[in-house]
Amino acid sequence: MINTTKIRKDFPILDKKILNQKDLIYFDTAASAQKPEHVISEMDNFYRQNYSNVSRGIHTLSVESTFAFEEARVKVQKFINASSEKEIIFTKSATESINLIAQTFAEKNINEGDEIVLTTMEHHSNLIPWFLVRDKYKCTIKFADIDKNGHVDKEHFASLLNDKTKIVAITHLSNVFGTETNSEILKLCNDRNIPVLLDGCQSAAHLDIDVQKLGCDFYVFSGHKLYGPSGIGILYGKEEILEQLPPYQGGGGMIADVTLDGATFTSLPAKYEAGTPPIVEAFGLGVAIDYVTEIGMNNINNHETELTKTALNEMMDLDFVEIYGTSSDKNSIISFNLENIHSHEVASFLDVEGVAIRAGHHCCQPLMKKLNVNSTSRMSFGIYNTADEIKVFIDAIKKCRDFFKK
Amino acid sequence: MNDLLKELYQEIILDHGQEPRNFGTCENHNKSADGHNPLCGDKVHLSFYLDENDIINDIKFSGEGCAISIASASLMTEKLKGMKLSEAQSIFNDFTKLVKGDADTLEILNDEDSLFALKGVEAFPMRVKCATLAWHTFKSAVENK
Repeated sequence: MINTTKIRKDFPILDKKILNQKDLIYFDTAASAQKPEHVISEMDNFYRQNYSNVSRGIHTLSVESTFAFEEARVKVQKFINASSEKEIIFTKSATESINLIAQTFAEKNINEGDEIVLTTMEHHSNLIPWFLVRDKYKCTIKFADIDKNGHVDKEHFASLLNDKTKIVAITHLSNVFGTETNSEILKLCNDRNIPVLLDGCQSAAHLDIDVQKLGCDFYVFSGHKLYGPSGIGILYGKEEILEQLPPYQGGGGMIADVTLDGATFTSLPAKYEAGTPPIVEAFGLGVAIDYVTEIGMNNINNHETELTKTALNEMMDLDFVEIYGTSSDKNSIISFNLENIHSHEVASFLDVEGVAIRAGHHCCQPLMKKLNVNSTSRMSFGIYNTADEIKVFIDAIKKCRDFFKK
Repeated sequence: MNDLLKELYQEIILDHGQEPRNFGTCENHNKSADGHNPLCGDKVHLSFYLDENDIINDIKFSGEGCAISIASASLMTEKLKGMKLSEAQSIFNDFTKLVKGDADTLEILNDEDSLFALKGVEAFPMRVKCATLAWHTFKSAVENK
């Protein structure tokens, strides 16, 4: 069990009153998590006490910054159990991480007629980078079906894999359904030696991640969904694969030797970190990792799974609520619509009640089309949420239904 | 009920949101455009017939979206039907100001106008794009030759 009373005191923003002096109920952690005081103050302190550019510096501040930056890399490595810190690349976002892999992997491995396998429920950030590859290399993208709960259809998925399949990119935890991709799906790829990219944007904050056990070759996530700052993304890639891939961006920090005729590139991870990196953001992510690690990822997972079950049970009793995906393995995310009320209305109504939810297509337009809806509302939980907040939410959606009743 | 919500969802908005007027496609249109809000997925198709005197003779819309975007489109078609194009363009400017909280500088619209029902949007900056979708679609239809 986790002590939410204690945890809530760590998040200054939870003291904020919304519009009508309502207590903030933050049910939008899947979009971005709030930040604990410790992350905010440590980053502030870093700017005041230790800040300088990283690498190559001789002076004290440069050494301190470099040390803190590299220490953060080791924290990330341990957090997801990568075998070496060389496998952890700092980017500006998970989206950039996926683009990095899509571009460099395709340049090395994808030719006309090759195939990439995705699913129909991917976030736009795990669709569009591959669309760009498709346009550039004239390859084909195949989309695995999902069932109504957001589980990948295993048989259909298996039928898409063949000798032309060069890479599979798939969400680890759906940002619409909250369901986890089954390990059997990854095993099908592993059995055929097809590299897998797992989009861990939602899973990194809710599950205990072990990239070696998962059987993925690439795993991406962002700092801001893990109670850390925005502006920092992570790319994990197996060392032996990343070493073979070409550079992504050129610039300072990623070279070994430069003449006016050309350059040789440095080794991992610096090879993929051209330019001044997000220094304080990486440091802040390290602080956030310490924070969640101290609470315990399994404890966090249990807490959020309980909240999800509570909310799901309450909502399933309401005949005016349609829920998208009701399987018991849902984790921290519930997408829903109120009968005959557009999700925008629901979001504005709840906002005035102090409840922050997200409304729209959640960057999953193809999935919305498949669900035959224009948009959905989405509530999502973090470590600071409580069952009492769910009660307020349930009352609020009832009021919303009454308000818009014809 | 909260005053901001009452202001946003006035009776007329809920009415037009649920039963939009001028819904469909103009049979003999010579101007049309599609509007799309990629951030939320709302869509509108607008068509109208602009006669030789630059009068908007008939105007209709179709699409899907929230109550605010549908009601705004519906009220817009009611307002613009039979209006001279140049006046419609001035109203476009006024309406944009109205929903962005700049009602003091309007040139044509006054507070007895049905479009004032959408003034409540000013308290919800994220909903301005809902209220203006149909209007921007109108503008692009005008600009389409």
